[in-house]
Amino acid sequence: MVNGTARVADGVLESDSLLTMLRERLDLPGSKGACEQGECGSCSVYLDGVLVCSCLVLAAQADGHGVLTVEGLADGDRLDPVQQAFIDAGAVQCGFCTPGLVLAAHDLLGRHRDPSDLEIREALAGNLCRCTGYEKVLDAVRLALARRSR
Amino acid sequence: MTRLVRSITEMEGRFEEKWVLVSDDEPEAWASDRPLAIVGHETPRTTGPTRVSGAARYTTDVSLPGMLHVAALRSPLAHGRVTGLNREAALAVPGVRAVLDSTDTLSFRSRSGPLYAEPEHAGALLAVVAADTLVAARAGVKALALTIDPLPFVIDVDEAFRDQRIDGEIAEESRGDVDAALAGADVRVELTVETPTQLQTALEPHGAVGWWTEGELTCWVSTQGIFDARSELAKRFSVAPERVRVVADFIGGGFGAKQGAGVEALLAVELSRRTGRPVRFINDRHGEQLDAGSRPATRQTVRLGATGQGDLVAIDSEVLTSFGMTGWRAVNTPAMTLYRCANARGVEANLKLHLRQGNAFRAPMVLEGVTAVEQAMDELAITLGIDPLDLRRRNFVDVDQPSGLPYTSNQLLACYDRVAELSGWVGRDALLEPSEDGLLRGMGCATQIWWGGGGPPSHATIRIGGDGIATVVTGIQDIGTGTLTAAQMVAAEELGLPLDRVRVTGGDTRPNVYGPVAGGSQTSPSVLPAVRGAAAEVKRTLLQLAGDVFEAAPADLDLVNGRFRSSDGALDEPYTEVTGKLGNATVDGSGMRGANPDGMRANTFGCQVAQVAVDPGTGEVRVEHVWAVHDIGRVINPLGARSQVEGGILQGMAFALSEEVAFDPTTGVPTNAWLDDYKIPSIADVPAMTIAFVDVPDTALNNVGAKGLGEPPIIPTPAAIANAFRHATGRRALALPLTRARVVETLA
Ligand code: FES
Ligand code: FES
Repeated sequence: MVNGTARVADGVLESDSLLTMLRERLDLPGSKGACEQGECGSCSVYLDGVLVCSCLVLAAQADGHGVLTVEGLADGDRLDPVQQAFIDAGAVQCGFCTPGLVLAAHDLLGRHRDPSDLEIREALAGNLCRCTGYEKVLDAVRLALARRSR
Repeated sequence: MTRLVRSITEMEGRFEEKWVLVSDDEPEAWASDRPLAIVGHETPRTTGPTRVSGAARYTTDVSLPGMLHVAALRSPLAHGRVTGLNREAALAVPGVRAVLDSTDTLSFRSRSGPLYAEPEHAGALLAVVAADTLVAARAGVKALALTIDPLPFVIDVDEAFRDQRIDGEIAEESRGDVDAALAGADVRVELTVETPTQLQTALEPHGAVGWWTEGELTCWVSTQGIFDARSELAKRFSVAPERVRVVADFIGGGFGAKQGAGVEALLAVELSRRTGRPVRFINDRHGEQLDAGSRPATRQTVRLGATGQGDLVAIDSEVLTSFGMTGWRAVNTPAMTLYRCANARGVEANLKLHLRQGNAFRAPMVLEGVTAVEQAMDELAITLGIDPLDLRRRNFVDVDQPSGLPYTSNQLLACYDRVAELSGWVGRDALLEPSEDGLLRGMGCATQIWWGGGGPPSHATIRIGGDGIATVVTGIQDIGTGTLTAAQMVAAEELGLPLDRVRVTGGDTRPNVYGPVAGGSQTSPSVLPAVRGAAAEVKRTLLQLAGDVFEAAPADLDLVNGRFRSSDGALDEPYTEVTGKLGNATVDGSGMRGANPDGMRANTFGCQVAQVAVDPGTGEVRVEHVWAVHDIGRVINPLGARSQVEGGILQGMAFALSEEVAFDPTTGVPTNAWLDDYKIPSIADVPAMTIAFVDVPDTALNNVGAKGLGEPPIIPTPAAIANAFRHATGRRALALPLTRARVVETLA
């Protein structure tokens, strides 16, 4: 299951990562591969509700499991509040890191009612961004939190 | 009326006289005190929803039917001679379609490479393999079973200097009599510092998808310059430019490294031509860190002489740059321009080393120069017992000294005042009091100078039709800076339409509307005036048409926030009353960036203050706060501008604290060309940042009053941090970055 739909991927090789399968076989290139060694977080997806680096997961390991990618976060045209907060706070520059950061922030908000700044930093420390300086990413998470508590 | 005039253009400090197209219809600059409805107000980026939803398509996401994938074989040695490559074995791997190495005659011309038999740096391309899948291509590379003989290499600065391995001439520029002035100075300081090799590390690596069909060439390139890429491809492959289309809808960062087509595009096209299939060549991370370029390391010696009151009488700067085999020289620019000084000399040499050729990285060379000069200024202030900011104010200069020309605008003094006020600069010595946590705290400052005035040629067109949507067509590529959003804002402002009635396009050469390379902080000041010119023309026409529809004198009408209004207020109608009558007709306008003002220099300025906390036990340095105030003329979008500054500060901080390519001295090979050991900052490292602009429009420069902002914010950060470290500890580290080992050594 990917983003709520049962999917069958053709031509998957034994050595293919989940990231490769999503991007190259299932036409879901929203997840990015900036390092393919578990360092940048740009490939983050949910696997059965747990955030993972999809570059480190074999495609075969996801067989029969539920995967949620950045493409599945919005409800049709309605963006997830975390996505909207990233736009409004100006947390996006080139956007290459954004799918991973959005998912990591989404995961944090799902796990925490009211994370402290330190907890936000800890939760997002595995997602590298070379453009923004992260200040607006912090703003985005705080904005999403403030909107939720309203 | 359109005319051709001779005018001076500038790109990253390289000046050139050219024929420039100018239009007599270009709008006057917005007056400084004129209130604007959209420009100057925080605006989220236009492509935000596309980017956050994962729908944005970067070059690395382009997937075409039958597309081949490329894997690269790179040199494992800093210098060597290839003795064996088993091409047959590679071609025998199932799925492999083509192999190229240095023995192939390529259909494009290249001065050297791009595939080497005698590589001169680790990571140099030796061969590429194209296959149905990346897995097969990588298997093909393995099957090549490279054998290579090592050759002697030099990567050590001292060794290279001793052997006089110097690229071309040693550059020297000077004014006055530096030696006499130094000898006669009341006070002298001399400082030698080293700066590290820093890697751009854009999250999207360099890459391209090339597709050659019947003499038509389509190429998706992760590039900062789609038009440069187009002319490069056209020239190299001998195709007419109009048969080449370059697309870069989304670019995952560039920071200077992604110029023109790049070797990835050239090879992808070559392979496509040979195989008849579209070909995708994306660097893997290791290849990117080894072979996509860098900010080259420098060693700089700065001597300053001053009067007892702190007036500079001599600046003398010597620079050795570890550029690779060749490069350019600009490290001495700050020494020659930053402060008023009648006697100044800059000597600069590039050493020929077996390193990957350095290339542009955000504020190339100038950041390095500022890092040394501003540390020397700090030492001078300490020697004189003068407040470092006062020393800088005292030596402020309002002309470009090498040319003698005045600046179009210079708000540096206001930057000093503002940053002092924001940071509490005058009370900074209170930080030296012993603190409970045992950390040593201090504050330092540094000045920024950079060009960033932009210039011609740059064009834009705007078309509005029956649906009332104005479409702005530009030839710029948004590498993440938000220039397309800025263009949308300027167009909406000038047209008098709400933002959501204006769409902007870019990143495609097909409409043939020229835009400059995204580099040198030139995009905004080049493109936005052209956009405004196009909008002004469309608006003139719309007012004419409104005159016809409402039977009013066009001169009596205005278009404000989507409504036609007469000056007496009697008429107040939505603009769609006019555009709704267009049917399939359209109203078009075009604009161009005019010439820069004669006899002036356009520069950006700024000052940053950093506060650090040093743990003398572990050697850990944390940057606690950075205050940044820059003069970039009119700020178009404060939201985007602040984000640019934050990103620049963080890259500058990393240059000062953690980023450095380490080499194995026995092999000359980088030992940390991955993301796990080459440490770029994460969100955990972010200091507090306070950002402000001296928001005074540069009305002499262009019709929107904006200067550029890409490079300025990274420039002063490292020196401000190094000076804060000096304030905190009383010691100066003679090399950056301030790694724990270096700090412990410096404090010992
Ligand atoms: S691509 Fe998976 S962590 Fe970088
Ligand atoms: S926005 Fe470019 S890497 Fe984060």
